[in-house]
Amino acid sequence: MTVKVVTDSLSDITSDMAEELGITIVPLTVFFGHEAFLDRVTITTDDFYRRLIHGDIWPTTTQPPPKDFADVYEKLAEETDEILVITLSSKLSGTYQSAIGAKGMIKKECRVEVIDSLTAAMGLGLVAIATAREAQKGSGLDDMVKFVHRATERSHFVAYFDTLKYLAKGGRIGKAQGLLGSMLSIKPMLTIKEGEMSPVTRLRSQAAGMDYLYNFVTGFPNIELLAVEHTTLPDEADKLVERLSKSYPGEIIYRSTVSPVLGTYAGPNAIAVTVLEAEGST
Amino acid sequence: MKQVNSITGQDFREMFACATAWLEKSASDIDALNVFPVPDGDTGTNMLLTMRSSIEEAYRAPDNSASAVAQAFAKGALMGARGNSGVILSQIWRGLSKTMADKKLLTGPDLVDALEEAADMAYKGLSNPVEGTILTVIKDASLAARNQAVNGDTDLISIIEVAVNAANQSVANTPALLPVLKEAGVVDAGGQGLYTILEGALQYLRGQAEQMQFRKPQMIASSIPLVARPPQMIAADEVPFGYCTEFMLKGEGFKPDKIRNRLDKKGESLIVVGDDSTVRIHIHTLDPGNVIHYAASLGTMHQVSIRNMDEQHRDFLEMQKDKAPAVDIATVAVVAGDGLSEVFTSLGASAIVPGGQTMNPSTKDILQAVESVASDNVIILPNNKNVILAAQQIKDLTSKNIQIVPTQTIPQGVSALLSFDYEADLKINAKIMEQTISSVKSIEITRAVRSTELKGLKIKRKQAIGLLDGDLVVAGDNTTDVLHETLSKLDLDNMEIVTIYYGADTSRDEAEQVSSTIRQQYPQLQVEVVRGNQPHYEYIVSVE
Repeated sequence: MTVKVVTDSLSDITSDMAEELGITIVPLTVFFGHEAFLDRVTITTDDFYRRLIHGDIWPTTTQPPPKDFADVYEKLAEETDEILVITLSSKLSGTYQSAIGAKGMIKKECRVEVIDSLTAAMGLGLVAIATAREAQKGSGLDDMVKFVHRATERSHFVAYFDTLKYLAKGGRIGKAQGLLGSMLSIKPMLTIKEGEMSPVTRLRSQAAGMDYLYNFVTGFPNIELLAVEHTTLPDEADKLVERLSKSYPGEIIYRSTVSPVLGTYAGPNAIAVTVLEAEGST
Repeated sequence: MKQVNSITGQDFREMFACATAWLEKSASDIDALNVFPVPDGDTGTNMLLTMRSSIEEAYRAPDNSASAVAQAFAKGALMGARGNSGVILSQIWRGLSKTMADKKLLTGPDLVDALEEAADMAYKGLSNPVEGTILTVIKDASLAARNQAVNGDTDLISIIEVAVNAANQSVANTPALLPVLKEAGVVDAGGQGLYTILEGALQYLRGQAEQMQFRKPQMIASSIPLVARPPQMIAADEVPFGYCTEFMLKGEGFKPDKIRNRLDKKGESLIVVGDDSTVRIHIHTLDPGNVIHYAASLGTMHQVSIRNMDEQHRDFLEMQKDKAPAVDIATVAVVAGDGLSEVFTSLGASAIVPGGQTMNPSTKDILQAVESVASDNVIILPNNKNVILAAQQIKDLTSKNIQIVPTQTIPQGVSALLSFDYEADLKINAKIMEQTISSVKSIEITRAVRSTELKGLKIKRKQAIGLLDGDLVVAGDNTTDVLHETLSKLDLDNMEIVTIYYGADTSRDEAEQVSSTIRQQYPQLQVEVVRGNQPHYEYIVSVE
């Protein structure tokens, strides 16, 4: 029986990708006041960003309750006896806790391993995608756990932010706090380090940001998978993909949109790339 | 949408029990927020213990009416109040319970009145209320609740919701009101605690008590930037703080106002709260004996606690050391003008050496700054051709690792500082910074000190002159004309950002005028106007 791979909606894996690779996505929830939406399920990214920019209610988010994970485990346990769950960083959300908490709630005989990826967005997404591919080769759960730990080391995420307002307001600013309050308008480049948002450097324009992202990718000698995602900059993201596809085969480049829950903190006009280095290249 | 019109005393108790559990999760984070020079490094814990005492007492209420539970709650707070913030919190509950007297149920409008009374009571407990603390937060929360009610809303959930949101903003704004918070780059701990309690209560009403166990309260970030702390702030530990003295007084016929007046001159942070039979006193005093002696003459003393605050302060500093972000690489910049200094500080410079053209700092001045920063790896940005040499001497005078990035202008210095790579080491950072120097063009507009002829330009004394990357390229009588002409020497069609730092002798209006002229001519440019307040240079402009 193949190991079933589960991740959360902050992996930014689209439903098409998930279906193709046999990944189950557990959504977080985004609230506009009392209105609750399941991330990417009952709200589209388009609708979400429209409301984020034009609405007057600041969204809030919450992790899936353990029961949502338990339901997924229960259902998958009909087809398999080994489940591997990879969640976004436990320092950014309690999703990991929910996934762990759900382990004790299943009745069927099934092993569940939960791994804190210490990253998010496609940083997590590419790990989950690589893991699902590995699972299709028929590896057992113990080998898969080791695979995931190595894959998180190989995953490198960097994002261009138009503003830190959303991150600060949502209380997820982490070590990027020092970039707040600049007297000049700056465009922060951030990464996720040890599970927390962390500054990389500062730029002064979006164009400089796009160049930075491109150079970030091309700085890696040996790339297995690539991802480009955005909150509200589809054209810029497409241009970046086009630029990258001159040097890298199109089939390794994943293109996605940042999920509403993550977009609550990233804000509009953000764009990010993730590099999954090939195994053995570091 | 869920609505709650009223709650019973039982709900009231459960709601705040839930809020207490919520507070418990961040109590240690709140403890860490405390700032020098008030050395109570335990605000979170104190508020938590006060809340627990309230909850315990609330279970002893004679019946389950809102009024009885609230009275018991307030009594518990008064009996168990700990620390400055705990005592103020007890005052808040007292105000709350006062409006609820004789009420079986707590409704939305009741809550609005209660919050107002609570804010009022909290201010009354102090002889010297300070804004930017828990006081401001309860006041802002109650005002927001009142506004919501004026709009006809009677739903408890939405009233608490607006109060929580207002409290959030109020907490974020506390550093703007209280300089000591601004210097430390933190929000007020008591305010954060109160926000967390209100938020916990809201979640209970929303029926989210279950989910809360997997989550953690959010710590609010300061809405204003952390300014670099001048080094002399650190040396103040010789000043004794004295003793944090707290106790409860029981007896009869007390007049809290009178006691407060009497103790007012005996110390700092005085709080006297309570009624005619029970009074709680909190004071920071150099002579606790005096206070105790007076109090003993009024009634019996209970829960007496006298703690040495110098010891507390030492513990606190230890704790801060663990929490302080490690600065791997510090940057020292030579800058003139408070506006420009702020720009550099806001971009992360660890120390500023005042100086620049015509007032070059000495090697000793720079060395002092280098030694004062909390890192062994230091990058120096001279920002002036004539300072580079003095900066280079530093390498031989200190045991620290020094890299000089030879910036010759302010725009070069800003670009270098911006390009700082948080992941890279000292040498690589110096290299990255040096590479960015060439990516920015610097324009300086100043006055000729004497008449001369240079590069075919006839220049009269005191005439405006424009320098492009240090070379004199334009002279003229009108400052803004000279600036525009200097700008025209650049290929602005291929540039992205123009930043105009206007000097001490230039008005903001004039600088804005210059900016809008540039925008009209080159609509693709992003133009920013910043107060530099630098001497000698009417304008310093960076183009990149």
